[in-house]
Amino acid sequence: MSPIVEHAQIFMIAQEVFAAMVDGDAGLLQPWDGDLPALDQAVSSWVDIHGDWLGRAVLTTEKSTADDLARALLDMGADEEVTEPDLVDAFGEIANVIGGNVKSLLPTQGSLGLPTVASVAPLLGGAVVIQELRLAWRGRPLLVAVWEIENTVQEGNHS
Amino acid sequence: MRALVIDDSRTMRRIVAGTLQDLGFETEQAEHGRAALDLLESGVDVQLCCIDWNMPVMDGLTFVSEVRANPAWRHITLMMVTTESEQGQIVRALAAGAHEYLIKPFTPDAIRGKLDLLGLVPVEEMA
Amino acid sequence: MAVSAESFAFVADLVRRRSAIQLAPGKEYLVESRLLSLAREDGAADVDAFVRTVRSSAKESDFARIVEALTTNETSWFRDSAPFAALQSYVVPELIAARGTSARLKVWSAACSTGQEPYSIAMTLADCLPASASADILATDLSEQVLAKAREGRYSQLEVNRGLPATMLVRHLSRVGAEWQISQALRNLVTFRQHNLLDLPPIGGPFDVVYLRNVLIYFDIATKRAILERLRRVMKPDGILMLGAAETTIGVDDAWIRVPVGTGSVYRPNRPLAASVPISTVPQPRTAPYSSVLTRGAHS
Repeated sequence: MSPIVEHAQIFMIAQEVFAAMVDGDAGLLQPWDGDLPALDQAVSSWVDIHGDWLGRAVLTTEKSTADDLARALLDMGADEEVTEPDLVDAFGEIANVIGGNVKSLLPTQGSLGLPTVASVAPLLGGAVVIQELRLAWRGRPLLVAVWEIENTVQEGNHS
Repeated sequence: MRALVIDDSRTMRRIVAGTLQDLGFETEQAEHGRAALDLLESGVDVQLCCIDWNMPVMDGLTFVSEVRANPAWRHITLMMVTTESEQGQIVRALAAGAHEYLIKPFTPDAIRGKLDLLGLVPVEEMA
Repeated sequence: MAVSAESFAFVADLVRRRSAIQLAPGKEYLVESRLLSLAREDGAADVDAFVRTVRSSAKESDFARIVEALTTNETSWFRDSAPFAALQSYVVPELIAARGTSARLKVWSAACSTGQEPYSIAMTLADCLPASASADILATDLSEQVLAKAREGRYSQLEVNRGLPATMLVRHLSRVGAEWQISQALRNLVTFRQHNLLDLPPIGGPFDVVYLRNVLIYFDIATKRAILERLRRVMKPDGILMLGAAETTIGVDDAWIRVPVGTGSVYRPNRPLAASVPISTVPQPRTAPYSSVLTRGAHS
């Protein structure tokens, strides 16, 4: 059975988001060639998708890369300091746009949570990584993952 | 012309407002629908609102309905600018009274194209 | 690694004059990234060196390559909406008045690229043609690669954002995965065929309406004239030509009349064609002389 969202679809979404929002031109987000190195000071941003299907879209990269993404989105100079609120807002917005477009691939209408940024997306009981894309943004490692979350918590709430 | 950019992300407000400013608009910003209504109620007059859908306090769809319910704001053009991209969501927003719908991600020329369709692009001098 | 202010100013001015597209300050990276491959093709050290060579040699073909490189992603739907507004407000009412409400209009979209123009024409006609009338749209391009995409009618999120009204999007396209696809009904209205504008005109004419937008800018004046002359031979005597916003027949081929419509202009042949021109169907007599059309403007 093919997964609910396909690898190629997520890649197309991620490429469009980076081309339009971050880079102003296509081709700067590519598949990572080979094994991904250990990330230095990893940082993640994610949004949750609620509805008949429960899941999460997660973006992970190194702190220095996330800072540069924030600089690009906020039109900051290369040496300008990226504050915590800058990072949360800008890096979170990328996850929000990717997550919203992933949601549109689902067979039934879902709703989107608000983006969150932390050093690591907290593991959830029953969460399975159904797609993980190892990517290179301007040659720097970046992960885009889609998790599927088992519906057990919600079922428990109904009783 | 003056536009109101409504989005909970400061990043996205900067991108949308920056593009509008390049096109000759003055811009106001609000971080959710309620704050935007407060601005309009305080007498800030705008010709265009660019509206995110998912926001805390008041979402964009509710904001559109609120604006359309007030005849004093009939002249305001409403454009959703959102990552909500299902066909059904677009239909819902148009039915609620939005005039146009721009899906995130977008390029600056896409904003320009939508404003051209809405008759809101200032006439350029010909070469 | 950004281009110099001087190179940028030259390129921005060139692109603005030829395509009416504005490269605002801040778009230096776009000029850099789009022209880098051209610079490499020519063996130039960098984009600045490439621009310097182009300026000193002043070759028409180089200017065209630069404009093309910076405008290729500008393919959009109703962008520069005037030619589609004119179709609704002027062209269709004129042609239906001349041919009757059961007319079958023949439209040619030349250099149609990935199909946004012919599909926009089809969407407009779906709105404004009388129910008893119909239309055949022939769409041609030099490149089989873009035609394959056009036939499929599948567009990315970024592509449907560019100049397609939301009402048209939900009415004529549906989601297929991360993309959108033109409805089968609309795709049935358009025939795509490979064609070079410098060759003999395609079969399927004579045409009532021809869209030839942002193509003439790439050619020198003699070639422009030759294309326009050949075009007249496959158009109905009262047919209508749509050019790009920055293009005109004036000063190129004087056998056309410019008709102001709305915020733009359309063009009509201004003299009877030579007897040797094959016209397969005889149009009904026009109700008004062209001279009155000139002053009338939009009907709506």
